[in-house]
Amino acid sequence: MSDFKTPPPLPPVTGPGSPQDVPPLPGSLPIDPATLPDAIREELEAPDPVAIDTAAAELSDGLNRCPKCGSTDIRHKLGTDLLVCLYCRNEWDGARVEELFGFGEGIDQLKGTVIASGARDIAADAAVLMTFKCTGCGAEVTVNTESAMTARCHWCRHVFGVNEQVANGAVPDAVLPFHIKKDDAVARIRQFVDKRRLFALKEFKEQFTPENVVGVYLPYMIVDGNASADVAGKGEIKTREYTRGTDNNKKTYYDADVYQLQRHVDFTVDDLPLESSTERGNLDVRVNTNNIINTILPFDTKNAVKWNASYLSGFTSEKRNSNVEHLHPRLEDQLLSIARAQVQASVRRYDRGVRWEQEKLDVHGTRWVSMYLPVWLYSYHQPGAKGGMLHYIAVNGRTGETMGSVPVQQWKLLLAALTVGTILETIAIAILAGSS
Amino acid sequence: MSDDGGLWLLAAGPVGATALYWALYRYYRNTDKSHGFEHETKVEAKPVTGAESDTKVDTIEGTQQTRIDGDNVGAYRARVQRITDESS
Ligand SMILES: [Zn+2]
Ligand SMILES: [Zn+2]
Repeated sequence: MSDFKTPPPLPPVTGPGSPQDVPPLPGSLPIDPATLPDAIREELEAPDPVAIDTAAAELSDGLNRCPKCGSTDIRHKLGTDLLVCLYCRNEWDGARVEELFGFGEGIDQLKGTVIASGARDIAADAAVLMTFKCTGCGAEVTVNTESAMTARCHWCRHVFGVNEQVANGAVPDAVLPFHIKKDDAVARIRQFVDKRRLFALKEFKEQFTPENVVGVYLPYMIVDGNASADVAGKGEIKTREYTRGTDNNKKTYYDADVYQLQRHVDFTVDDLPLESSTERGNLDVRVNTNNIINTILPFDTKNAVKWNASYLSGFTSEKRNSNVEHLHPRLEDQLLSIARAQVQASVRRYDRGVRWEQEKLDVHGTRWVSMYLPVWLYSYHQPGAKGGMLHYIAVNGRTGETMGSVPVQQWKLLLAALTVGTILETIAIAILAGSS
Repeated sequence: MSDDGGLWLLAAGPVGATALYWALYRYYRNTDKSHGFEHETKVEAKPVTGAESDTKVDTIEGTQQTRIDGDNVGAYRARVQRITDESS
């Protein structure tokens, strides 16, 4: 009987069920919901979050000077990539970096490592705090680039933003402004959790306040690459299938031809996003839920605009702390994975599968652009050993794609599993008893 | 019935319970999700070459395995021995 008391061990971080595994297709579940009890089935079959368009923006004031009237009261017009002046209603567009700097062009001609200015190495001794002298009143205003790119003067309410690409790596090349509004993000998070209430941790449900979602600009490196890859291994083709043995002891046997294979592919990738915060880039699901934030990629990075701190008014941000060199191994890993996906179609005729044994990558050229991408984050800290676990529900600030980690009430989940297991076992015993 | 006739059915309970536990756990925690960059990145590839030199090196008779040992054709993220210019 199924009488285990402890939950089954967590799968290893590199094996099935970890972000190292190729993720399942959206909406797919390894179990047929029709076989489950009603309450569980209804929860699983409830519709996924859909786009909700609500018009409400509560952004704090901006900075910079309006090109028409010179006012500093500027804000990002939510839902668009426009900046708007609150005095004269002048609206202007941030220049798309794609055209401005020719990103996206000539990827197949890339040679060496091209680094945009905002993606340069971070100066090790650069200070996180930057001080500005207010032109309005002469006071000193400090901006902490670790978590914010704008700050307000306490005395005259002028707002300052970090717009210079100083050596501390805080200012990226480009920013992709929020399009999804806060109300929309709240609604999506609520829907996501409503679909996962049955086994959710009681404390999580009690404290669930999606209005506490925060808009955060997270740092990424957007990479174009020009590469070639080679893979080699063995493939098998089935030549015969037959059974041996008598009635109840039949076994199926196969004959197969074994082939030595090798494949070569030349390819380019356009706008591959890599987390450039070391903490966010750590996708170990045993210690954090950063894979949730990773899952809401990709973004429409082609629409990113030239850096302007006004876009960040009212949002927090996280500073980049990885340089191009640190990220190279991860880029190579992903390029190899892409190459392996590319060659798969060319080995279709090996119907017993292929075992790739060796792989080789030549990176001819790469181009790195540092970018801030918009994410709505709801977080819940689950207490526990080793500091517990921080669970995120993340909403892509452009596409609205929503993913989350909801802490589970272990005993409830175990009870449900044991109940279903017991029912199955009872049926199995009944069948055996009836057939003997 | 033969000696092992249907005894495997007894595994239904534990197997079913474990499968349900993990399916629900992942549905809540989504530990298996990540960005599918292999398919969601804009990739332009020249035609894959090498198929013309596939060579038969062995034959297998009477195996009960339905797939090749160590099949990793769909496991794009499982790294295998890396060949570098220095070592080849
Ligand atoms: Zn104006
Ligand atoms: Zn002032």
